[in-house]
Amino acid sequence: MGSIQIKKLTKSFGDTQVLKGIDLDIKDGEFLILVGPSGCGKSTLMNSIAGLEDVSTGDILIDGDNVTDLSPKERDIAMVFQSYALYPTMSVSRNISFGLEMRKVPKAQIEKTVAEVSQLLQIEHLLDRKPSQLSGGQRQRVAMGRALARNPRVFLFDEPLSNLDAKLRVEMRTEIKKLHKRLGTTIVYVTHDQVEAMTLADRIAVMKDGQVQQFGTPYEIYNNPANRFVADFMGSPPMNFIECVVLDDKLVIESQGEKFELSVAQGERLKQAGLDTVILGIRPEMITEPKPHVAGALVHTIPMQVDVTEPMGPDTIAFGQWNGTEIQARLSPEAGVDAQAKGLISVQVDTSKVVLFDAFSGARIDT
Amino acid sequence: MRSLSPSQKFYKALFMTILVLFALVYLAPLYVMLSTSFKGIEEIRMGNILALPTSLNGSAWTKAWSSACTGGDCFGLAPYFWNSMRIVLPALLISTAVGALNGYVLSQWRFKGSDFLFGALLFGCFIPFQVILLPMAKLLAWLGLANTVTGLVLVHVIYGVAFTTLFFRNYYVGIPTELVRAARLDGAGFFAIFRHVFLPLSTPIIVVSVIWQFTQIWNDFLFGVVYSGPGTQPITVALNNLVNTTMGGKEYNVDMAAAVIAALPTLVVYLVAGKYFVRGLTAGAVKG
Repeated sequence: MGSIQIKKLTKSFGDTQVLKGIDLDIKDGEFLILVGPSGCGKSTLMNSIAGLEDVSTGDILIDGDNVTDLSPKERDIAMVFQSYALYPTMSVSRNISFGLEMRKVPKAQIEKTVAEVSQLLQIEHLLDRKPSQLSGGQRQRVAMGRALARNPRVFLFDEPLSNLDAKLRVEMRTEIKKLHKRLGTTIVYVTHDQVEAMTLADRIAVMKDGQVQQFGTPYEIYNNPANRFVADFMGSPPMNFIECVVLDDKLVIESQGEKFELSVAQGERLKQAGLDTVILGIRPEMITEPKPHVAGALVHTIPMQVDVTEPMGPDTIAFGQWNGTEIQARLSPEAGVDAQAKGLISVQVDTSKVVLFDAFSGARIDT
Repeated sequence: MRSLSPSQKFYKALFMTILVLFALVYLAPLYVMLSTSFKGIEEIRMGNILALPTSLNGSAWTKAWSSACTGGDCFGLAPYFWNSMRIVLPALLISTAVGALNGYVLSQWRFKGSDFLFGALLFGCFIPFQVILLPMAKLLAWLGLANTVTGLVLVHVIYGVAFTTLFFRNYYVGIPTELVRAARLDGAGFFAIFRHVFLPLSTPIIVVSVIWQFTQIWNDFLFGVVYSGPGTQPITVALNNLVNTTMGGKEYNVDMAAAVIAALPTLVVYLVAGKYFVRGLTAGAVKG
């Protein structure tokens, strides 16, 4: 019903290549997120799927049909824009029905669809209004209604939540996920917000400089990032990157003038690599206050001089320094208060989920 | 509101006085025209130019409209008034429609060289009328349109398109491209998007274009005198002929009435749609 294959897609504007050979295989009914910093080419890729921009080389297939040279109209795709792009002179109801009208759908059918869609999105009471009379959240719903009414093979969402305030954004995020569950239509969704990416996606394509850095489930992306860029981009607060001297199969951490040796699960690989130093990637939630019930070869206790704490509510982020690098630890609120008061505390480091990167290339050395 | 100090009051009164004086200076000719047009010829010769008419005498108006002599013919301004309408209305509609489409393409459907094309069109706004008189006369003759209303319409359309394109292009540049993209995905084509999305948004700029073109074409004298023949002259040319045709004494009352008649349509257009004019002109300018 709506699978998409993207094969060796490139796109250049003059001399600058913005897409450098993209290959993606999106399954029918999948919720795919394209995420990356601004200028990474994610919006260009989405516009290429929509047919709003011509590609330089490569192919786009929807349900096995090559649509590379088809106009947007013929691709059976609906899109929700960042600015909503509602037609300002048309009522909400006509905004929703315009696409059907253009496709010469019978009038009775149009009315039925508008009624269904507006009920689904709870905008029945707004149907006679003009877009200028709606709040941001309501416009967002209408923009989604316009896309839903067409019942397309694929939905494209271009940063649809970035114009909403924080609370509404979280609400709409859940709503979009529910909607996807209910409809089961393929969604390609562009965002620069990694939280949105993690929470919504079946699979995430992390992009940088016109290339897909990693394509996988949120779990894979978070726990097994392909390179340092992906590890850094996904996760908030971000992963700690600590340059460590390698000592046989262990890593050395220096804190308060003392040296501590860390065992890692990848000890054998580390030894084989024969490097002097590596970058240790460790998530803040793996550096916590001591938890007596957690023990084992991969659990270590190291002192930490806390410079600043940032209470988040459910936990507190503490900032300290190891090996001359600023690191962030995730403490319980109580431990956070304690750390704020004392300054010097002991933290527990669990290395069972760390990742190791080459100090120069940023590539993984432990896979 | 804050009460004004004595010196502020003085300056305010001074400014108001100056403004009223300027207004009077500007309105004086209109007053003289109107009052003179209602006077009899004897009253004009004997009386003061600023005096009010002793009685409202409409005969000069009737004569100017239907029986004054313009050159050899003595049918008044009426036939020429309708000539002007027959030139202005089609030229106005065509140039506004073409300008709207041009503006739509140049702002939303950019293509290679579209900026150059826009620049070239813009240049058209600065070409003085006199420069094209001879080539255009050649062209009209070649097209078989010399001395015809159609020929004059064509000249005014060509000249007007530069301005109307500029108006619409600057107005449409302020409309986000995402609207076009949304409509394309909704299945609307080039003209459907123009009709359903852009035209409904265009009321202010259409009014600007209509007022501008109406005034320009209605008031045009040069093209009117050069490219018209007997029977196709616009009202500006007829007014000139009427004033310059003298049988015995100069009939100032008829001249004045004729001048007011010739100016009346543009005045009406301004009064009806004027408030959109400033709004529409600045809307394009600020956003563009």
